[in-house]
Amino acid sequence: MSTHTPVTPELVAQLGHYAALPLSKERLAVVAPLLDAWLKDANQLSEKMACADYQALVPATVFAHPGNHEGEVTL
Amino acid sequence: MSTTSELLELSLTQAAALVKSRQVSPVELVDASLARIAEIDGDLHAYISVYTQAREVAKAAEIMQAAGHDLGPLHGIPIALKDNIALKGLRTTAGSKVLSDWLPDHDATIASRLRASGAIFVGKLNMHEFAWGGTSDNPHYGAVKNPWDTSRFPAGSSGGSGVAVAARTCWGAIGTDTGGSIRLPSAINGIVGIRPTYGRVSNHGIIPLAWSMDTAGPMTRTVEDCALMFGTMAGHDAKDPTTAKVPVSDYMAGLRHGVKGLRIGVVPGYFFHHLQAPVEKAVRQALSTFEQLGAQLVEVDIHNIHGNISAQLTIESCEPSTYHQRWLRERPLDYGEDVRTLLEVGEMLLATHYLQAQRYRSLLRQEFMDAFAKVDVFICPTLPFTATPLGDMKVVIENGIEEDMLSAIMQYTGVPSLTGLPSLAVPCGFDQDGLPVGMQIIGKPFDEATLFRAGAAFQSCTDFHHKAPPI
Repeated sequence: MSTHTPVTPELVAQLGHYAALPLSKERLAVVAPLLDAWLKDANQLSEKMACADYQALVPATVFAHPGNHEGEVTL
Repeated sequence: MSTTSELLELSLTQAAALVKSRQVSPVELVDASLARIAEIDGDLHAYISVYTQAREVAKAAEIMQAAGHDLGPLHGIPIALKDNIALKGLRTTAGSKVLSDWLPDHDATIASRLRASGAIFVGKLNMHEFAWGGTSDNPHYGAVKNPWDTSRFPAGSSGGSGVAVAARTCWGAIGTDTGGSIRLPSAINGIVGIRPTYGRVSNHGIIPLAWSMDTAGPMTRTVEDCALMFGTMAGHDAKDPTTAKVPVSDYMAGLRHGVKGLRIGVVPGYFFHHLQAPVEKAVRQALSTFEQLGAQLVEVDIHNIHGNISAQLTIESCEPSTYHQRWLRERPLDYGEDVRTLLEVGEMLLATHYLQAQRYRSLLRQEFMDAFAKVDVFICPTLPFTATPLGDMKVVIENGIEEDMLSAIMQYTGVPSLTGLPSLAVPCGFDQDGLPVGMQIIGKPFDEATLFRAGAAFQSCTDFHHKAPPI
C-alpha cells in the first residue's frame, strides 16, 4: 500500500527547484493543495499499474509510423 | 427569400440545400450570421474575432455558383473556428494573452479542407485559455456565457463554439477535444459534437494542449449537420503523422438506416453512478428510446474503468506543461490564474506518473476493444451535471458535497480521450431549470458512421435538437 505524505509549500519549492521553476511563496501556496490531491490519485494509479499482471503493458504513447496504421482498422 | 430569423433557424443541411438550389444566397446567410453576432455577442462573448470580410467571400461564392462551380457540400455556409486553429494572416490567440498578436503563416489543414468544401469563415471563437480547462471563463477575452441562461457557464474548452452554434450565430463550428472539450460544451449548450477517433482528423495548424489526446471536430445543431461537416474534414494528412491512412466513409449514407439490432453497452457501476438525478433520468430515457427503436442494451463490466480521471489529469497536465515550459518561465504573468496553476502543477509530476498513466491507457483501451465483441457502441452521460453558475470552480453533484470542477467534469469524457475512441455528444433532455442534458455515444475506432447513424435515429424521434435558447 502506498502512503501519502501531504504536499506542503516547502515540498513544492523543492520540486520547483528540481524542475528549474522557481515559484514565489504565493505560488507555492496555490500549487500545494492541487498537487496534493492529484499526487495521491496518481500514486494510487502507479501502484496499480506496477503490479505483476501488467508487467508487459506498453505505454500508449509511441512513435507514429505513417503508413502503418491500416492494421488498426477494426470495422 | 426569407427573414433573417427564418434563415438562422435552418439546419446546416437545409441551408446548404437551399444554396445549391439557389433559393438562398451565400450573401444572405453571411449577412444573417453577422447581424446575429452583432445583436447578441456583446453579452455572450462567444467570438474573439469577427470577419466582416466574409461578405466579400460570400459574393465570390455567389459568382462561382453562377458560373457553374460547386465548391462542395458547404458551399456558401457560414462556419466559425475555435481560436486555436490557425488561419493564415489572421490573429489566432488560443484564448491567450501569450498569443494575442500571433498571425500564423499557414492555414490549419482542417481550415483548408473546410474552405475547399465551400465554407465561409465568419469568425474565431472564444475558449478556455489554451484549451486547458472546462469553463471558458476567459480572463483575456471575457467569460463565455450560456445562451440558455446567461448566468451559467457554457462548459469548455470549446465554449465559444458551443454557444455560437446554440445561439444561431453560424451553422456549424469547429472545436477541439482533448479531455472533453467538444463534448462538454455540446452537452451544456444542447447541441451535437463529435470527438473523432484519434488520428481521424488532422491536428496540423492547431495549437496543442496534449499531443497524445488532442482531436478536432465539428459542432452543429443536428447529427446530420455534424456528419456532413465531418466528411469534409476527415482523412489522412501528410502534415500530421498521427493521422491514419484509413478510408473516409460516406457519413451521410447510413443516417436513415436506423438502429434495429444495434447492441448498446452500458457499464452500470460507472455510467449511472455519481451524477445529478435529472441527468440520469434523461440518459436512461434516451436508452429506452433506443430500445423502442429496436436496439438492445447489454450490461458490460469494464473492470479497470476506475482510475481514468487521474490518468487523464496526469497526461493532460504533463503534456501542456512541456509545451508551455518556456513561456511559463518567461511570461508567467501573461497566463490566467487557473491555467498558470495547472501548468505549474504539471511540472511537479514525475515521469513515472506520466508513463504509468500512459500504460493505463493501453489497459483501458484493450478492455474496451474486448468489449466491442459484445456491443457496437456504448452510451453514457456526457457529464454528470448541468450548467453551473458562471465563475464557480466547485460543483455539487449529490449529497450537497462540493467537488473540484475539473475532476468532476471529466467523469465520463475521459474514457474516449484516453482510449482514442470516437464519441458523439447528442442532446437528450433538459433539467428542471430548462438547462440541456447530453449523452455521448462511444464507438469502435474509425467507426464514426455508426455513431452518426445512432444519433440520427435518436433525433428522428425526439425534438431536443429543435429547441432554441431564449436569447
